[in-house]
Amino acid sequence: MKATKTELAVSFVLRFGVILSASVIILGLALLVAQGGQGALGDVAAVRSFPHSPAAVWAGLLALDPVAVVTLGLILIILTPISRVAVSIVAFAIEGDRRYVAVTALVLAILLASLVLGKGGS
Amino acid sequence: MSHLLQFFVILGASAIAGVVGSLLGLGGGIIVIPVLTLFFHVDYRIAAGASIVSIIATSSGSAATYVKDKLSNIRVGMFLEVLTSVGAICGAFLAGWVHGDVLYVVFALVLFYSLIPMGRKILAELGKAKTRRAAAGAEAASPDPLAAKLGFSGSYYDKAAGRQVSYSLRRVPLGAAIMYVAGLGSGLLGIGSGAFKVLALDTAMGMPMKASTATSNFMIGVTAAASAGIYFLRGDIDPLIAAPVALGVLAGSLIGTRLLSRLAGTSIRIVFFVVLALISAQMLLRGFGVSV
Repeated sequence: MKATKTELAVSFVLRFGVILSASVIILGLALLVAQGGQGALGDVAAVRSFPHSPAAVWAGLLALDPVAVVTLGLILIILTPISRVAVSIVAFAIEGDRRYVAVTALVLAILLASLVLGKGGS
Repeated sequence: MSHLLQFFVILGASAIAGVVGSLLGLGGGIIVIPVLTLFFHVDYRIAAGASIVSIIATSSGSAATYVKDKLSNIRVGMFLEVLTSVGAICGAFLAGWVHGDVLYVVFALVLFYSLIPMGRKILAELGKAKTRRAAAGAEAASPDPLAAKLGFSGSYYDKAAGRQVSYSLRRVPLGAAIMYVAGLGSGLLGIGSGAFKVLALDTAMGMPMKASTATSNFMIGVTAAASAGIYFLRGDIDPLIAAPVALGVLAGSLIGTRLLSRLAGTSIRIVFFVVLALISAQMLLRGFGVSV
């Protein structure tokens, strides 16, 4: 039995997200080492500051900060499963499976709600 | 240790976590967290943030292949994700109200208890006569009308056995309840959700072991992504620690997915049994205040 169109679409989104985010992370690390040598990787046991809001990451990217580029890659990893949920809603709709369009839309709604609730709570 | 060497040791350890995680449907936190905290003295909060990233990377890296090979059942996964994500939200809200220590002990005991049916299944699969009896028993269990209605059946080509494997699920309400608990656990404690998912699929709902770990892998990324935003905004995801973890885990998941298709279901179940015992021990230790 061959994979359905929905399965192929989901698989493509996951593979695309993984390759894209890994490439951005590697680019950021290469920039970091190119700018500051291997010492720029820092000591992992040390407590250090880094961008952890979308605004700070964006500002860092504009300033070509390598750590912000690495962080962008990590954000892309986090967005990959969310994108595959969104894409499968469309894929189930094309397949004509209304029940699973509803189920998947519900999962996406819960996911987005948890992101918003998390933001409000912190 | 030089900073570059630190980087590559974390990368290597994460690759092992990626192999184990993608093979067993777990996030790999069981390896990533102890390596970072015990070996590198990374703050527990930052190690947990890296672990969340490792779960998502393992899930996406391996599910890209598993979905295409029909090992991950996307309908079963999508439907049960409703329960895990609602559970995760409830868990996150309850987290401030209940004692973490007690919860770790409770979840550890539940996982220890689940070793019994898992062990029985291994013994049954190892003894041929018993396999036939177990198979007959499985067929005798009445097919679940709910499973039929939801389209909970599947079929995949098992490379190790050299044949097409078809299955349909049973005891959907029980499986769904365990999935809710899996979500609750990940919202409350941040670990162990993969283990509960495999148990719900394999032990409760009767999905073949390989399809269970592959479907769990498909699901854990979504459960983890729901809380990853919170970790990120809280500043728990240190990019220069999460980066080698993510890259290592992705590389490892490429190996793990190849291994899964070549290994027999029983071998995977035996490895899962051992790792499940380790996870339960890890949770029990946390309950008594040892964070590993």
